[in-house]
Amino acid sequence: MSPLLIAFVGALLLPLFAASWRLSLFGLAAQGFLIAWISHQVDPAVDTVGAWVAMVDLIGVRGVGAPLVLYAVLRAQRATARHDVLSPNLMSWTLAIALVLVAFRFADMVVPVEGNEHVFVAGATAGLLLGLLVLATQTGPFSQMVGVLRIENAIALFELGGRHRDPWMQVAQTVLLVATVLLFRWYLRTLPVSSTVKVSAVEGMTQ
Amino acid sequence: MTWLLLVALPIASALLVSTTRGTRRASTVLLVTAALTSIVATVHAALPTRPAVLDGYLRGDATVQLFAPVINFIFAGIAVYVRARVATEPASRRFVFLALVFLAASNLALLSNHLLLMWIGIECTTLAAALMIVRPDAPASRLASWRYLVFSSVGLGLVLLGLSCLLRSMELAGHAPTLFLDAMPAAVAGPTNPWRELGIGLVVLGIGTKLGLAPMYSWLPEAYDEAPASVTAMLGAVQFNCALVLLFRVVHIYRPGSGGFITGELLTIGLASVAVSTASIVATRNFKRLLAYASINHAGVIAIGLGLRSSASYGLLLYVLSNAFIKAILFLTAGKIEAHYGTKDRKLIAGLIKDLPYSGLFLMVGTFALLGFPPFGSFLGELLILSALVTSGQMFVFATFCVLITVSFVATGRTIFPMIWGEPKQIRTWPQQRITDGLHKLVFFVLLLVLGIYIPPQLNSLMTQVARSLEGP
Repeated sequence: MSPLLIAFVGALLLPLFAASWRLSLFGLAAQGFLIAWISHQVDPAVDTVGAWVAMVDLIGVRGVGAPLVLYAVLRAQRATARHDVLSPNLMSWTLAIALVLVAFRFADMVVPVEGNEHVFVAGATAGLLLGLLVLATQTGPFSQMVGVLRIENAIALFELGGRHRDPWMQVAQTVLLVATVLLFRWYLRTLPVSSTVKVSAVEGMTQ
Repeated sequence: MTWLLLVALPIASALLVSTTRGTRRASTVLLVTAALTSIVATVHAALPTRPAVLDGYLRGDATVQLFAPVINFIFAGIAVYVRARVATEPASRRFVFLALVFLAASNLALLSNHLLLMWIGIECTTLAAALMIVRPDAPASRLASWRYLVFSSVGLGLVLLGLSCLLRSMELAGHAPTLFLDAMPAAVAGPTNPWRELGIGLVVLGIGTKLGLAPMYSWLPEAYDEAPASVTAMLGAVQFNCALVLLFRVVHIYRPGSGGFITGELLTIGLASVAVSTASIVATRNFKRLLAYASINHAGVIAIGLGLRSSASYGLLLYVLSNAFIKAILFLTAGKIEAHYGTKDRKLIAGLIKDLPYSGLFLMVGTFALLGFPPFGSFLGELLILSALVTSGQMFVFATFCVLITVSFVATGRTIFPMIWGEPKQIRTWPQQRITDGLHKLVFFVLLLVLGIYIPPQLNSLMTQVARSLEGP
């Protein structure tokens, strides 16, 4: 297992065990930078439009932009330091570790040979499963945003293995990601921190 | 090349709206643009198909010719509704701007000859719709909008991941990877592999989220319930069909090599969707939610129909087209009813046919069509799907489906019909309803009847072509 993959799995797992929103955002930023690093290792030449767009996407948007935008909102709201992205109990932690093991087992099955391909599949599957775990267990908007961004990062890692990427499509995808992050910022500012909305069988949701 | 007008016109109008002042003027721009795109789509549907343009990224094949007029026409009806509502409930310029972006993105998704470009179009519609769901006076709508965005982001993320898997499967099979629709059939030839099945599975699951299929359907009742009626109609009748076309494209390409896998997945999620929606229809007292659950139910029927090949394809198309008009009629009518009564509780609404005669009438015919009564196209469509279930030997699915449909039939009728014909609970005085307010719904109703009674040869030919493409070689 490559050191970069170990670091990526660390960036996926550690924020789940430390109940801090700052560490969650740091984890997202680290994932962006690590994917950029892996991308650079796979193809060191940054001499095409596509390669530049990928770097802007990975470093600019995922590594810096998205975490910074959410950080600014939470800081302005004076959010308390503690924030559980995953329920703080043994069951959740065991499940998280089990999902990482499942991801590696899955990668061993579909890509039996060690190499870049194996790294992409193992890392992306672990990121996807942990993102889904966060989404399935949390109801707060911030935790759900972290879950969605984890899934987005997992997809970005998986896409590194693909060739023949159209640079214009990459630009469009990056613009959409920026728009999504800006929407997240708006929701984080306007939605209640915890879900105070109740669902009534008759009138739907009421506050 | 003039197909491009379907995208260019709404974008130009959106720019115009962002620089003009006045809500009424903005809603006029929306109406004129929607009318123009409807005309362009209808004219092109009557012309022979053309080769792809813009380096092969856009093309107008039979599927586009069939669906573009439908979604643009429904959007024009929604624009009429928005314009009529301006007098009582001003739509902001921002709303009109987003609606135009939504229309441009929907047409882009439809015209795309590239799966990733389709994905980009649908993602754009999602971002625009998320903001339109929010009503300034309803905090709950913000939460519904957030849930819609979360589910859509995850669903579309799964689709993107699935497309990457499909590209990898092509590489593994020794073909040049491509997502161009006209080049894909050659690139997917040969035996199936795990990446392909994983890719198809993820794409179907992700698009299923946009269609409101189980297991990721829970955003739909909330979003449809809380959104303004015009936005609910956009989601249910416009975006739904764009997402469905993406699913059609994938099924068309992969059915020859992975037909069994596609059938199994679609039948499972289709039947699960019909089951969960039926239970919810029985339980709810909120009539807007009931319509939302009915949408999940219909999406389930469509998934079941798409899962079968053979003769179900024509019936499926008939069902899909009817469903688009039914949703447009019902959601726009539901908005009117909620605005008048100030409640969504079915028990507090009665005697609609006396109180709001036109709304009562449209709710009645819409419900009959929803339940699959003749002479509407939904009746024939559902009948053909049921018949295909029997001929393809899917007896368990057939039996379960029949039971569930019967239960939802009774539960829907039990909820809606007292609202229409029951004795009014309190004496209310409304301004007299004018037939001109519901003219767009009347046109939808006529089209719904046309689909059930007499399908013009040109439309029949388009439907046959699309049905054949769904059945595979």
